[in-house]
Amino acid sequence: MSEERVIDGRGLMPPEPMELTLTALDTLPDGEELLLLLYVEPHPLYGILKQNGYTHRSQSRPDGTVEIHIKKA
Amino acid sequence: MQPGLSFEQAPPISVPFRFFLTAPLFGMAAGLLLLWQGPEAFTSRWTSVALALTHLLAVGFMLQAMCGALLQMLPVAAGANIWQPRRVTHLTHAGLTIGTLLLVAGFLSETALLFRIAVPFMTISLGAFALIVLIALFRTPAQGPTIISLRIAVFGLVVTIALGATLASAFGWQLALPLTEITHVHAAWGLGGWSMLLVAGVAYLVVPMFQLTPPYPAWFTRSFSITLFFLLAAWSLTWLPLQRPDGLQVALACAAALLAMVFAAVTLRLQGQRRRKVTDPTLLFWRVAMAALVVAAAAVVLQQLNPGAEDYAGVPFLLGVLLMVGVFMPVISGMLYKIMPFLNWMHLQKIGRPGLVVPNMRQMIAEPRMMMQFRLHLAALVLLLGAVPLPWLVYPGAVALIASCIWLEWNLIVATRNFARFSRELEERLAKEQEG
Repeated sequence: MSEERVIDGRGLMPPEPMELTLTALDTLPDGEELLLLLYVEPHPLYGILKQNGYTHRSQSRPDGTVEIHIKKA
Repeated sequence: MQPGLSFEQAPPISVPFRFFLTAPLFGMAAGLLLLWQGPEAFTSRWTSVALALTHLLAVGFMLQAMCGALLQMLPVAAGANIWQPRRVTHLTHAGLTIGTLLLVAGFLSETALLFRIAVPFMTISLGAFALIVLIALFRTPAQGPTIISLRIAVFGLVVTIALGATLASAFGWQLALPLTEITHVHAAWGLGGWSMLLVAGVAYLVVPMFQLTPPYPAWFTRSFSITLFFLLAAWSLTWLPLQRPDGLQVALACAAALLAMVFAAVTLRLQGQRRRKVTDPTLLFWRVAMAALVVAAAAVVLQQLNPGAEDYAGVPFLLGVLLMVGVFMPVISGMLYKIMPFLNWMHLQKIGRPGLVVPNMRQMIAEPRMMMQFRLHLAALVLLLGAVPLPWLVYPGAVALIASCIWLEWNLIVATRNFARFSRELEERLAKEQEG
């Protein structure tokens, strides 16, 4: 399995993290995962992912970072 | 950029914009009333003019903007969908706009009939709003401190509406009720139970997001809203007839004020730790608001510990200016300058397709325009606070408040027009490409 692609959106001003994520998804090969790091749960992104056939799972780190793993359903 | 990605959760852009464009008009009206009445306006908090002023700012400006922001924010930030968003918007917007006019006209003309119309009108429209939002907040799968804080805040709004309706009924039908006591509790729930908890819940989300700070500490977000709620509830009970444990009442009021001060201190500290030292108008508005909250909370504690302070009419005016012009109007202005450009950007994305670059958020309202409004608003705050010892300062203060609200309104109109212009340009480009 190839290495997971990571977008660290924690120091970025919205909507930059969403723009980067959507751009990265355009070229994400099937079966590969994209990891997005944020300090909040990106609800608008979840809606977009669901409607466009992506799945995601989120987990929180102790420092408040939310890890969002995204891949094609 | 993204192929046909859909943003269906967001309500139409006209939903929040009508609230945002209406709110500054009531701020201007408050400034005009203050200019017209001069120092007379704050001889007592119980004059018709003082009550009209309070409601122009608290309902006309604050609640108007807060309801619009909440209707918009719930689906986007909390994954909570509003039932019948268009109908709820019409009802709430009419309730707030016509309701504020009825209340203010009722206070100024002291006409019972206006209160008799305002009571059912505002209770039904705002009550329905609160109920629908509360249902959405309980049905969302999202969890976390923001959702909990928002649920308590909307409950606080319900209490505020119920007590407000009781007071207005007393004016409308000459009911013999303990008006002073109910007014204290009504104001505390409006400012503390609803506004403060709404700001806190929103802050947990937007301060780290837009001001690039570390997150609020978990110990704080876990305990702040629920503790403030219980303090307010216990304090309210001390106002019931035959329950005048004065010492307890003072202790609870001081505890609630100190808790609000902790929120301000935590927020100021987080802002000091932000990772990119970008200073934008939103950050400045929030810093002023948090500083004003520290001063307001200290003033509440001092007032509580000095029972004679109640008799000095300058104290309620000082607290009103600090909380409404100093805390909530700046927080709202700062948020509008993020919300409007973000909504513009998000709705423009809907029109876009791969390769079509959408204008970014910074192009929606020019930063110098927002900075200008910040300076005007700061001037209004300083001058109106100065009017407590030097009453003539109320005139330049009122002018600065009017100017700040005109500037805010103009900036929001610019954002609305830019949205229309950018969406037209995008559609034209798309049409041209299809022809080619």
